[in-house]
Amino acid sequence: MIRIMIMLVGLLLAGAGVAPATAADAAPAPRVHVIVVDKMEYGPIPADIHAGDTIEWVNRDLFEHTATARDGSFDVDLKPDTTVRMTAKKGTVALFCKFHPTMEATLVVK
Amino acid sequence: MAGTCALVLHHMGTGDRWSPFINTRNFSHEQTVVSIAIIVAAGSMVSADAATPAPAINDAQIAHIAYTAGAIDITAAQQALQKSQNPKVRAFAEEMARDHAAVNKQALALVDKLGVTPQDNATSQSLASSAAAEQKTLATLNGTAYDKAYAANEIAFHQTVNTALKDTLIPSAQNPELKALLETGLKLFQSHEKHAEQLAQGLK
Repeated sequence: MIRIMIMLVGLLLAGAGVAPATAADAAPAPRVHVIVVDKMEYGPIPADIHAGDTIEWVNRDLFEHTATARDGSFDVDLKPDTTVRMTAKKGTVALFCKFHPTMEATLVVK
Repeated sequence: MAGTCALVLHHMGTGDRWSPFINTRNFSHEQTVVSIAIIVAAGSMVSADAATPAPAINDAQIAHIAYTAGAIDITAAQQALQKSQNPKVRAFAEEMARDHAAVNKQALALVDKLGVTPQDNATSQSLASSAAAEQKTLATLNGTAYDKAYAANEIAFHQTVNTALKDTLIPSAQNPELKALLETGLKLFQSHEKHAEQLAQGLK
């Protein structure tokens, strides 16, 4: 009886060990990607953004900016010295600042 | 385009320390642009001939010119907010006032930190005179005619300042922090120029 119980506990532990690994392979944990806006420019856009990740816009500039999708899918207002988070959705989107049309970037979400 | 007023910047001591007010003088926009070019060219020649070349303009004068340019555009924006009913024109004017106030606040903080007293000069006076003349012309217009003239003037003004920043002020600036602020200012003015062009296009 004791042997059976030990075997059962062993099987449960083994099962618990396998389950998280399978889940991790299927869907990586969401990550946070920081994009800094400063001196009238968008900083480097991370290349490995996946759907469900968080994009954190950090405006370190003197001026109010926006991160506005040309396709209308998002429009983030960025006042000076503020941080705004949004959830990344799959696709490639051209974005610009509504106030400063020389500011443009492309966001690629896998 | 001819005007009969010149805008003079006055040292106030508190808050926005240079406050524009009106002085009488005859000037036109075209004359002012030409005179700015002559002043800059003459300064460069003097500099080149000197045994120890000195900048045509010093940092105290550069700071004054940059601040003056911002103050001029804030005044123009305030007039637009009084006169225009067009939402796009009003939004543009609010942006101009907001951005130039931000960069001028930074400029004041920098000159305080550096212990520099901004120095009035011929270029500042030419910019101010031209702006005052233009503001007087704009004051006579209303409705769409005003909106179009304001947008056209914003394009011309930003083009003039961009040229001065790029060809004279940034190359002449000695202090690295002042130079960096002017470089950000140039990007800002270039963006405003493009925005003004888009605004003007939408008003046709």
